[in-house]
Formats: sequence, structure tokens, C-alpha cells
Amino acid sequence: MSAMTPTSEGPRLTALGKIAIFLFICACILGAWYLFTGKKSLKDAIPGSSSILGGGPQVQIGIAYGTEKQKWLEWAVAEWQKTSDGKRITINLIPMGSLEGAHAVIGGDQRINVWSPASAAYKDIFVQEWQIKYNGNPILREEPLALTPMVFVAWDERYQAFAKKYHEMTLSTVHDALQEKSGWAAIANQPEWGLFKFGHTHPNQSNSGLMTIVLAAYDYHKKTKGLDVGDVVDPKFQQWLQELERGTSGLSNSTGNMMREMVLKGPSSYDAMLVYESVAIDYLSNAEGRWGKLRVIYPEYNAWNENPYYIIDAPWSSPDQRKAAGKFLDFLLSEPIQKQALVHGFRPANTNVSIRFPESPFVKFAPYGVQVDLQKICDPPSAEVVNNLLASWQRTQGNR
Amino acid sequence: MKSARWIRSWRGSCGESLAAPLSVLLALAFIALLPAFLLGCKHSSTQSESGASGEPPRDSLELVFTYGSEKEKWIREVTDRFNAEDHRATGGKRIFVRAIPMGSGECIDEVLEGRRQPHIISPASAAFIKLGNAQSQSKTGKDLIGPTENLVLSPVVIAMWKPMAEAIGWGKKPIGWADILALSRSQAGWKAYGYPQWGQFKFGHTHPQYSNSGLISLFAEVYAASGKTAGLTPADLAKPHTGEFLEGIEKSVVHYGSSTGFFGRKMFAAGPQYLSAAVLYENMVIESYGQSNLAFPVVAIYPKEGTFWSDHPIGIVQRDWVTQAHRDAAQVYIQYLMQRPQQERAIAYGFRPGSVDVPLAAPIDTAHGVDPQEPKTTLEVPSVPMMDAILKLWAEKKRGADVVLVLDTSGSMNDDGKIENARNGAKQLVSLLSEDDRLSLVPFNSTINWANTDVPIRTGRDDLQRTIGSLFAQNGTALYDSIDAAYQHLMQESAGGHDSRILSVVVLTDGEDTESKMQLDELMRRIRFDGETHTIHVFTIAYGSDARKDILKNIADATQANTYEGTPQNIAGVFKDISTFF
Repeated sequence: MSAMTPTSEGPRLTALGKIAIFLFICACILGAWYLFTGKKSLKDAIPGSSSILGGGPQVQIGIAYGTEKQKWLEWAVAEWQKTSDGKRITINLIPMGSLEGAHAVIGGDQRINVWSPASAAYKDIFVQEWQIKYNGNPILREEPLALTPMVFVAWDERYQAFAKKYHEMTLSTVHDALQEKSGWAAIANQPEWGLFKFGHTHPNQSNSGLMTIVLAAYDYHKKTKGLDVGDVVDPKFQQWLQELERGTSGLSNSTGNMMREMVLKGPSSYDAMLVYESVAIDYLSNAEGRWGKLRVIYPEYNAWNENPYYIIDAPWSSPDQRKAAGKFLDFLLSEPIQKQALVHGFRPANTNVSIRFPESPFVKFAPYGVQVDLQKICDPPSAEVVNNLLASWQRTQGNR
Repeated sequence: MKSARWIRSWRGSCGESLAAPLSVLLALAFIALLPAFLLGCKHSSTQSESGASGEPPRDSLELVFTYGSEKEKWIREVTDRFNAEDHRATGGKRIFVRAIPMGSGECIDEVLEGRRQPHIISPASAAFIKLGNAQSQSKTGKDLIGPTENLVLSPVVIAMWKPMAEAIGWGKKPIGWADILALSRSQAGWKAYGYPQWGQFKFGHTHPQYSNSGLISLFAEVYAASGKTAGLTPADLAKPHTGEFLEGIEKSVVHYGSSTGFFGRKMFAAGPQYLSAAVLYENMVIESYGQSNLAFPVVAIYPKEGTFWSDHPIGIVQRDWVTQAHRDAAQVYIQYLMQRPQQERAIAYGFRPGSVDVPLAAPIDTAHGVDPQEPKTTLEVPSVPMMDAILKLWAEKKRGADVVLVLDTSGSMNDDGKIENARNGAKQLVSLLSEDDRLSLVPFNSTINWANTDVPIRTGRDDLQRTIGSLFAQNGTALYDSIDAAYQHLMQESAGGHDSRILSVVVLTDGEDTESKMQLDELMRRIRFDGETHTIHVFTIAYGSDARKDILKNIADATQANTYEGTPQNIAGVFKDISTFF
């Protein structure tokens, strides 16, 4: 027998075997096609299948986040993509005002699996509204990412003139300065500076605006905890808030945009505003190239913006997405990523990361007034207090 | 009162369709600035559509970018460079940007009206974005423009010849609108300041119903009168002092106009005998230092009472024709404009950079007449009802105009529908004049025919329209004699104590002079602007291809006026633009 007759030897394929091999080859071709054409998930292409790649399935998650930490998060995502998990877990950053993000989640925006506002100030309202619509606790896991308190930022020359008359900058003294009908003429005999111009963001659209009116209430009542509805509806406080807010300008929906406007247009636009410490730090150097030195002043009654990371227990989030959101959270809290938060003016949530070293912004910008230690830290207010404060603020706006 | 009439007519046609009070307010704001929006109509006929020159490369992704023409030189330079470089969109296609300069209002208006489909827009001021979005919201429930960032900035200033500014204390004390008022009220003019050789104080700002800087000038004057920087109220306007303040300053206005650039160019070219000062953008003061033949340097006065910013926002259009690919490409282009090299070129053109990473540098310095530490304070944009009220007050207090319309009715006007379109254009001029203006109508052919003399618009508007409608064409062209007659008529008016009025001749002709007794040289000698005794402006329209454009340009230039090239198609727009000078 010649070797040319193999058919007579070895195993032979049955018809079923041939079909199985054909199907396998088709599956390989299909798989290769999806990989080369950039389809993000085989899971999408073959319903119910699990990944054929190692390390878990391909997953996408969406994070609605406050724009104040945009630069840091964009850098973190770029770093994440270099990791093995980053190769299969795609992070979609969705910039939204802190409160806008809450409204989007409650409204059922299925792009969002994680909500990361600037602070927890709106958390209770978010939870309440979620429960009305979906029942249960909406938050699967939460951790602070990076901390930043509120600060006044003012043009140094004008701050010095302000301090000469009022000694310190607090929301109470800002209120008093705003009541001067002739503005800087009465404050510092500088009529050419016009009115005293103070700004904060829109409390209904931006977390820092909401924080401003919360701190205003604490400052007025000279307390750091136990702010209740009675304090908010107190007619004297209502009158005082009205006076403060009628003189306030700006009301942008973004803290960063407002700060940018202050630096671009100088003291002609704002003499002072209340913003996140991180935002102020980000702009200190830039301002000097324009209008001169900015000064950072810490209000006596302050509060932390801890930039919480809430993994949402949303019906549209798959188990893989929830797991992926947790993995990315762990990555954000790792030391190298936390160190980069410091570069952008945030105080790292990971306490292993020091902020007292020569290149730290908290050392470098100390001559501008930046400091590590704060005075009185106020408790986050209840949902009821926040709702009443927002309603009170709305009344102060009249036809504006 | 043009303003009041015009607002009334809008209310009649549009008011009922807007139910919510806020919508009405916002729409009113839009309408209050609508003339400014229409300003661009004039420009569109003269601006090049290829703002950034060249044709798109094959298979490229083209972005259409419409923008306020104040920053044309900068945008043209950096966009040409962008197109020459190889910038790729997400899909790999090369990006080509077609940048088209126009009036800021038109940037918005033409999208709302569906006349063009741009992908990116950048007017001179954020107010246009706000008003455009408000209008779009009321029509479609959607914004017109997405989030914006400031490309460049420039404050609104009073530009004045340096020796004149020094004469009123510039450099030693803050100068404000009160100083401008004092100058305007001074019967002795500059003599009261020790400079009799400078004659009267002559001031200029654009027409507030057609131009952003003109509207802003009025706001600033009213704020200065009230002593406020924010929160103007009807009670502030009702005070006699406010009206007197406004009237006092407006009395020294040489004439108005639709274009801030026109005032800048005319002021720099014609010198201090034409204008002592004008409301311009800071970058134009800096730009003047590039001119070699200036009479004196120009400096920027930042009114101590406060001013406004022109902040040039740029944003992506929110319409269906803008695809994700367009949005991605637009981001690439916007980022390019915001990068340091391009922002530094903006500084070279006198703009303050919109990127906070780029510090201010020369020529934004005192050596170029500006102060980078100014302005010290800005003014709040008044509420829409207050804008309306300020425009009404201005219409009452502004300088009235005496206009002589010299219309060619020679036989050649029968060709190509010229006489018919000229009649319609002239009627438009009559309809746009203010109640306190007066018009004389002088049709001419071989002879001069005074059809109407010094007719008050308040009572004679309809009669004037009827007379214009009855004109027909025949015989020859006694152009020079007619211009001279019109000019001498206004000279007599001036001598009779009417020098507080804006005196102008508007001439339309389609051909060469054939029958005048007067020679051109003699006419030029008799009408040449000298800033004191001969201040009448002669606006000329070279109508059709046979008109002597060179002669008509010389006549307009000699009287510090403007010349136009008219056709039966654009003549209505030409008359409309001329109306903005009064």
C-alpha cells in the first residue's frame, strides 16, 4: 500500500464533526471580525456569552462627574488605559454639574453607572428622590476621592482694602460690604473700583453655589452642626440672605468657568468669589500674568467637598459594570493617582499621600494664603434643610 | 421715534405667539438688538466668503465657521495656517475650516432664519449667544449654540487723540463720561481747555439700534448720569438730569453709523479735525499704532464709571447638520485657536488672549495707548425693559438730522429697473429716519427740481413717500450743480442756528455729469470738510456700472462721508446703511 491512501487509516470525521468544525471556524472568523472592526464588546455581539479574553469580560462604564476635577480624572483615565484592567474596562467620563448628574441618574440616564459630585451636600435629596421612584438604597458603594474646602478668592489689592475696614473676609462681612450703596467709595475710598462685586455659582445648578448658601446659614447662626429648618425659615435670616444674594453676581453653573472669568476680566468682573480651594489653586499662577496677585482666604465656617464616588445600584447596571466601577475606584484611590490629585490642588483622600513637601501646592502657594489647617468645619445639612435653603434662595432672586 | 415705532410694530406681529412672560422678555431682548443683528446684512455683500482662503482638499471634512468681523485679521491668519497644516478628524479625514467674517448679529440671525448652516460660531459678545439661544428655545425648545469659551477679549473704550486726552487730565486722574459731557457742553470747545486751535469737541459712536458699541455707549452714559454701576430703574431714567446728561453728550456726536470699524478707520485717517474721540474697542486703539501717518498717537480712556467687555465666545452649533464628526473636528479647531502660538498672535493684533495660560504682553501696554490693568469696573447689562426705555430716551434726546436727498432722474435711470428700485430704496430711507429729522427731496436731471424742502418726518413722512413714488426719469444729468445747491441749502440752515443738527446730503446718480455749469474742481473747493465751517457730509451712491465711482468717492472722501456702489438689487440695503449715520 502506498502512503498515498491515508483515507484508509486513522480516525475519520463524521458529518456532525464536520459541522462542528465549520461552526468553530465561522465563530473564529466572526470573532476576528468584531475585534478588527473595533466593536467594543463580544458580549454585545453574542448575547449571553462570556468573554473569551482573559481577566473578565469587556465592559464599559459611564461616570457622571463634576467638572472641577476634569483634568485629574482625564489624566487618571489615560493612565487606567495602560493597565490590564484598563484594556477591557472602558471608562466614559460624562462631565455634568454635580446636581445635573443627580437629576440625570434619577431621570434614568442609562449611560451613568457612577455619580461623582463635588460633595455629599446633595446626597440625601438624591437618595430621597431615588426611593420615591425606584425604592431601595441607590448607592452600592461610596468613597471620597479627594477633598477640598471652600475658599474666598480675592484680588490682593482689594482684599487688603477690604480687610482694613472689615478685618476679615467672611460671608457676614461680605454681606455688609454688599450693602454699601456707593461700593468701594464707602469701603476704601476708591470710587473708581465701582461696587463691591461678589460671586458664587448657581445653587440650583452647581454644588459650590449650594455650599455657599449652606455656609451662609451656618455663618449667620454661628454654629457648625444642628442646622435645622427653623434656622432657615427664621425671618431675620431670610432678610439677611435676601440682602446677601441681591448683591451677588455671577450665578454660573460651573465653578471653573466663573473662576476663569475672574482671571480673564480681572477686578472689573469680580472682587471676590467663593470657590473650591482646588479651583483657586489651579488659577493662582495664571492670574498673576494678567491682573496681579490673587489672595486665598478661608471662611471661618467651612465644609469639605469630598468628591464622593457613588457606585449606583441602578437597574440598568450589569454585575460586570458594578464590579468594573469598583475596580476603577480602587485605582483612583491608589497612591500614584492620588498624588496627581494633589497636583490639581485637591487634598488626597488616601492619607498615605503627604501634602507637606516643597513642591506641594499647599507649600508653594502658602504666600497666597493657601493653608492646610481649617477653622470650623460644618456638618453636611439634612435633605430638608437643603430643600428649604434652595427655596429661600429662589425667593431672593425675584425677577432675576 | 424710530425705536418706539419699530418696537411697537414687532409687538403687534410677534407678541401674541409668546405666552410665557420670560419668553416675552427674552424675545424682547433679542428684538431690542435685532437691528444690530441686521447690521451684518450690509457686511455680507462686501465680505469675502473665503475668509480663510483656498479650496478644501479632496475628501476633507469641511467646517463652516462664521464670526464677528472685529477679529478678522487674526482669524484669517491662524485659520489659513490651520488649513495648510495637516489636522485630522477622528475618522482620519483632513479638517478644512471655511471662516467667514460678518456682523455678530448676522452670525446668529442667519442660522435662525436658515440662510446658512455653519458648524461653529463666534460673535463679538456673549450677549449674542444668550439672545440667540433664547430665540432658539422659544422656537424649537433647543439652544442654538452649545457651551462656549472666550477666544479673545477687548474692552470697550473711548479712543481719543493723546494731546486732547492729556488736555482733560488723562494720565493724571481717572477720566469718565462726566468729562466728555463737560467737553460737549463747552460753548468755547477746546478753547476752554487752552487749545483754541482744536475748535469744537467732536465725538462719535455707532448707531445704538444697529451696533453693539453704540448700544453700549448709551448704557454707559445713562449709568454715568445715574451714578450707578448696576440696577438701573425707570425712576433713574425719569430724572431730568439723566435726559440732560444724555442730550449733552449726544449733541457733540458728529454722526452715527453701523460699523465701529468705520469710526476707527475714519478717525485715524481724517485726524482730529474730524473726530476728537470715538467709542471703539481697545484692540482698535492698539491697531492704530501700526499706521504710519497718524496726526497724533491715540489712547484708550476707560471710563471711570465703568465699561463693558467684548468677549468673543466660540461655540458649536446645536443643529442636525452638525454631525458627531463635525463636533469632534470643531473641538480640534477650537483647541488649536486656544493654543499658545495662536493666542500670542491674537495679542499681536491687540486682543487680550482668551487662554488664561497666556500672560498679557506687548502691544497691550501703555506704549500702545492702552492700560492692561484697566478696566477697573464693568457695568451690568440692563434688563430688557430698561434697554427699551433707554433707546426711547435716546430717540428723544439724540441730534436731529437735516438730510437733502439728491436723486438722479435722468433718462438713463429708465434702464434695468433702476428708477423703480431707486424709488423703493429712497422710500426705505424715509421710513428709517427719526421723527425729529427733516428731509428735503431734490430730484434732478438737466435741471434741479426741489420737490420738498425741510419736511419734518414727524408730519411729512407719508407725503415724502408719495412724492418719491411719483418720480420718473428723463433728460440729462446736472450732477455738480445739484450737489452744490443741496450743500448750500444746508449751509444756510447751519448759519441760521441749526448747527446742533447732523447735516448731510445723500446723492444717488447712475452716470457722469453732462449739464452742470459748475466744474468739479469748484464743487470740491466749496464742499471740502474743514471741521469748523464746512462740516456737511455728502454720502454718494454710484448706481449701476456707468456711474463715475472715482469722482463720487472723491466727493464723499472730501466731506468725510461714505461712498457706496449701488445696484438695483442692493440699493435698499445701501439706503438702510446710510440711515444709520443719522
